[in-house]
Amino acid sequence: MIARTVARAILARLIQAILVALALSTLCFIFIYILPGDMALRVAVGRFGLEQLSRDMVESVRRETFIEAPLAGQYFAWLGNVFTGNLGYSLVSNRSVVSELWRAGANTFTLALIGWALSYAVAIPFGIWAGLRPGGIVDRVTAGLSAAIASLPSFLIGIILIWIFSVSLGWLPPAGNRGPHYLILPAATLGIGLSALSVRVIRNAVSATNDAFFVTYSQIRGLSPGRAFVRHVLRNASTPIATFAALQFAMLLDGFVVVETLFNYPGLGDMLVKALVSRDVPIIMGGALLIGYLYAAVSLVSDLVCLWLDPRQLEGARS
Amino acid sequence: MSAPALVIRGLVVRDRQGHGLVRGVDLTLPAGGILTLIGETGSGKSLIAQAVMGLLPDELRAEGAISVAGREAEAGDKPALRRLWATHTMVLPQEPSAALDPTMRLLSQLAETAGKTNATSALDAVELSGAAARAWPHALSGGMAQRGLAAMALVSNAPLLVADEPTKGLDDERVGIAIRLLASLRDRGKALLAITHDLRVARGLGSAVAVIRDGVIVEQGSAEAVLSTPTHAYTRAWLEAEPARWPPRPRSAAAQHPVLVCEQVGFGYTPRERLAERVSLSLRPGEIVGLCGVSGRGKTTLGNVLLGLHRPHAGTVKWIGGADPYADPPAQRRLRRQYQKLHQDPVRAFVPFRSLARQFADLKPVLPPRALSDRLPELLDRVRIKPSLLARKPAEISGGEAQRLAIVRLLLLEPRVIVADEPTSRLDPIVQREVIELLTELARTRNLGLILISHDQALLDAVTDGELLL
Amino acid sequence: MSEIARSVADTVRTGQRLPWAGPALILAVVLIMILGPRVWPVSPTAQNLLDTLAGPSLAHPLGTDHIGRDILARVVHGAPLSLGFALLVVAIGAAIGVVLGLVAAERGGLIDILIMRFTDLMLAFPGVLLALLFAGFMGGGMVPLFVALTITLWPQFARMARAIALQTLAEPHVEASRLAGLPPAAILARQVLPPVLQQTVVLAAFSVGGTILTISSLGFLGLGMQPPTPEWGAMITELLPYIHQAPLQLAAPCLCIFVTVLAFMLGGEAFARRAMRGEHAP
Repeated sequence: MIARTVARAILARLIQAILVALALSTLCFIFIYILPGDMALRVAVGRFGLEQLSRDMVESVRRETFIEAPLAGQYFAWLGNVFTGNLGYSLVSNRSVVSELWRAGANTFTLALIGWALSYAVAIPFGIWAGLRPGGIVDRVTAGLSAAIASLPSFLIGIILIWIFSVSLGWLPPAGNRGPHYLILPAATLGIGLSALSVRVIRNAVSATNDAFFVTYSQIRGLSPGRAFVRHVLRNASTPIATFAALQFAMLLDGFVVVETLFNYPGLGDMLVKALVSRDVPIIMGGALLIGYLYAAVSLVSDLVCLWLDPRQLEGARS
Repeated sequence: MSAPALVIRGLVVRDRQGHGLVRGVDLTLPAGGILTLIGETGSGKSLIAQAVMGLLPDELRAEGAISVAGREAEAGDKPALRRLWATHTMVLPQEPSAALDPTMRLLSQLAETAGKTNATSALDAVELSGAAARAWPHALSGGMAQRGLAAMALVSNAPLLVADEPTKGLDDERVGIAIRLLASLRDRGKALLAITHDLRVARGLGSAVAVIRDGVIVEQGSAEAVLSTPTHAYTRAWLEAEPARWPPRPRSAAAQHPVLVCEQVGFGYTPRERLAERVSLSLRPGEIVGLCGVSGRGKTTLGNVLLGLHRPHAGTVKWIGGADPYADPPAQRRLRRQYQKLHQDPVRAFVPFRSLARQFADLKPVLPPRALSDRLPELLDRVRIKPSLLARKPAEISGGEAQRLAIVRLLLLEPRVIVADEPTSRLDPIVQREVIELLTELARTRNLGLILISHDQALLDAVTDGELLL
Repeated sequence: MSEIARSVADTVRTGQRLPWAGPALILAVVLIMILGPRVWPVSPTAQNLLDTLAGPSLAHPLGTDHIGRDILARVVHGAPLSLGFALLVVAIGAAIGVVLGLVAAERGGLIDILIMRFTDLMLAFPGVLLALLFAGFMGGGMVPLFVALTITLWPQFARMARAIALQTLAEPHVEASRLAGLPPAAILARQVLPPVLQQTVVLAAFSVGGTILTISSLGFLGLGMQPPTPEWGAMITELLPYIHQAPLQLAAPCLCIFVTVLAFMLGGEAFARRAMRGEHAP
């Protein structure tokens, strides 16, 4: 029974990933081949630069990318490439898309990991404290702060941090990636943005679980409040928190695109934005696909963790 | 001579506005003894249990002295009362599903306070061993969960056990089991304070009984004395509310054409999950037929099948004149009003956020002209509800008032058949008697067919002309 | 954003000292958006290269930017671009989503399955990615932005509306109305719609805040509305190089975004709290 539920979860996410990939590929195809705008020109500008351009260069790009061939055939060739992993080469840098993705992905991964860890390092203690003492001073202050921070777009948080730490205090560099200390401000920006929402989710999960009768009952039976918290509250509160973690990835997405651009950090987001501006189709396609797959993967992990935590769903029982 | 298990002196519980919800209660429970506290909803009986455990809601204030096995504490001193947990006081909770951590196996939960050996032997004593002991809470049946909680009370060393509504919502057979479990816990040396509105608990446990009304104890004494020769009028009303004590009802005589028939009906939630097969019954005007059975066997679903709400996968349902509501949609539309239902939770049978007056006004399109203005006032009067109550919203009235208003709503529609689905199971016994008497009288005077669904065998025996067991 | 709505809606305990602060702020911000250009009729695009990066003065209460345009006028004209646009997106997305959710709940069966599978698929799509792709490929005008944002928004409303409608349809009061013979349209309108609408308002408030954040982020990246339109995010990008010389000018659009989004967040919380208490806004 357990194996079946797990298998079903994996299958569902797998199908989702395939459908998302299909939809993304089709979307990109439509954008590139059907919409107006001179693609070849844009690409050539990206590759050679505006000043160096000549008609021949644009034409060579056009031939190279088969922009003029019949539509249906192109669509299936397109899909074929996508699904066999042949993502091609960047039209701007001529390096393979896979290697570019790898390089940028590694950078983003480091950034995301640190940012995520930072956000939980802040959100967990404050969330638990506020959840155990709802209405108290810690709860009210964190509620106010998190509302304020959640009202700021991530680039603003970044700008404020730059203003404080780079411009005024001069402690940290505002841009680039030439060493580990360049990671601090971007990771902090991401982390702060994420923690504003995580704190609330954790607080609510802890507060709701703490109110559950079985927690009180465990103390009536003789457990100390501390043990009751660890053995009962934490475990039950983890389910909504784990569900939220998957959604955080979506927010992380918005975060790192903007943050990397602001800090000029060479990760996936920065790469994607530059590719969009210069119409570097293979890179756009590759980046979009990677993000789509990652999203499905994170959702799958979250599903599995939830199943593990809540035995009711594990046995396929109606909860 | 050991100290009494529980002594309450002068307990007063007030709400924010200063109203006394419990007004000067004195109770004594000797070591190893039993006391059953009987009262209606809102009488304050649960508040007494909460006060003893130090679990009163924050907005209430308590005063008075509480002493458990010799340990004294002020009723308002919650921390002191909480320190008595597990060593002096223990609770047998109402709802097993709420009391057990859903993510932990039963044995583990027991073992965390008692150690594995004690836990296993306690579970053995209540006949939950092996696979049942290692089960997840949601996999336990209601009866098994009940026994699991009893095991938790067993492993506790506390001399005082408080059981709040131990038989709430239970079928007849499980009520018997619950009472036996409680008695066996007392046999192990625990003193038992049982709080209930169910007289069967008082009778089954015997020993001492106290009756509480509006926050004041109106009568107390030994069970034999109070239950057979009560001195207070309220206690008498309570005892007479038991269906077994009701005067016999004149059975309907005339052999008229049935208003509702089902033949060889089979139904279930889905075609694969079948609940029952080959069920047949017929209902004549003025007749009362009972539908009984353990919960989950399909009583409500059968009621819905008869009302044209749930299509059976086999057999036929016929309304008056032989019309089949499932095969003949125009007939169903024509006769819709005449086949009505009374719900188990009357408050939820009204739209939560709309005033009751407006909800009655909403019925105008389906009623004959001027029915509302002509008949509503007299119907309200008949069920003893003041018209001013209609200005309120459903959450602002009691269960008994809501059920009577539901009956008024039905009567406006002038039904031929009423399917009453556990109409009184959420009501206190005295209110239950009023509502059932109202229903039976309506069946008689207006020649209505009534199908009464209930798990309370005594109720059905007292009132129905025939019964169907699912 | 729906998760925030859900998670915040659970905070019944934390009483707000000023529960009307959020809705009042929303009203204020919307009024400013509507009346602003009339109260301050200065052109947001008129350049004056002789008066760049000027400090606050009577003629320019918030100063001027790097090519001499009046900041107050730009900020005021930027309001409909962020706030007005977001309101439109959410209104349409909510309408589509709620209708689809209600249809799925009411009809059940195959229609329900179809709608829900489609909704699930849309929800599986990272929304920001979609906005980026649309904006990037179609040149960042208002139309592609509108389409992308609406597409990401309606599934959340659909899922919420369906869940609440299903829950309400299973309630005894709906059954009682059906038994009485009341027409389905009346039951839907009087009994099912109110709780759905109540939650829709909550979700809508949070969605407006989230949409404004997305719009300004895209503007900041240069993929949103293009200059010289005074969209707040784009303004920030333009003014960022002058952070030393003209911090006030930079602060203006920042504060606008902050206050507007905060207004809708607080308003959403207030609506959620009201819904939790079981009161119904007629």
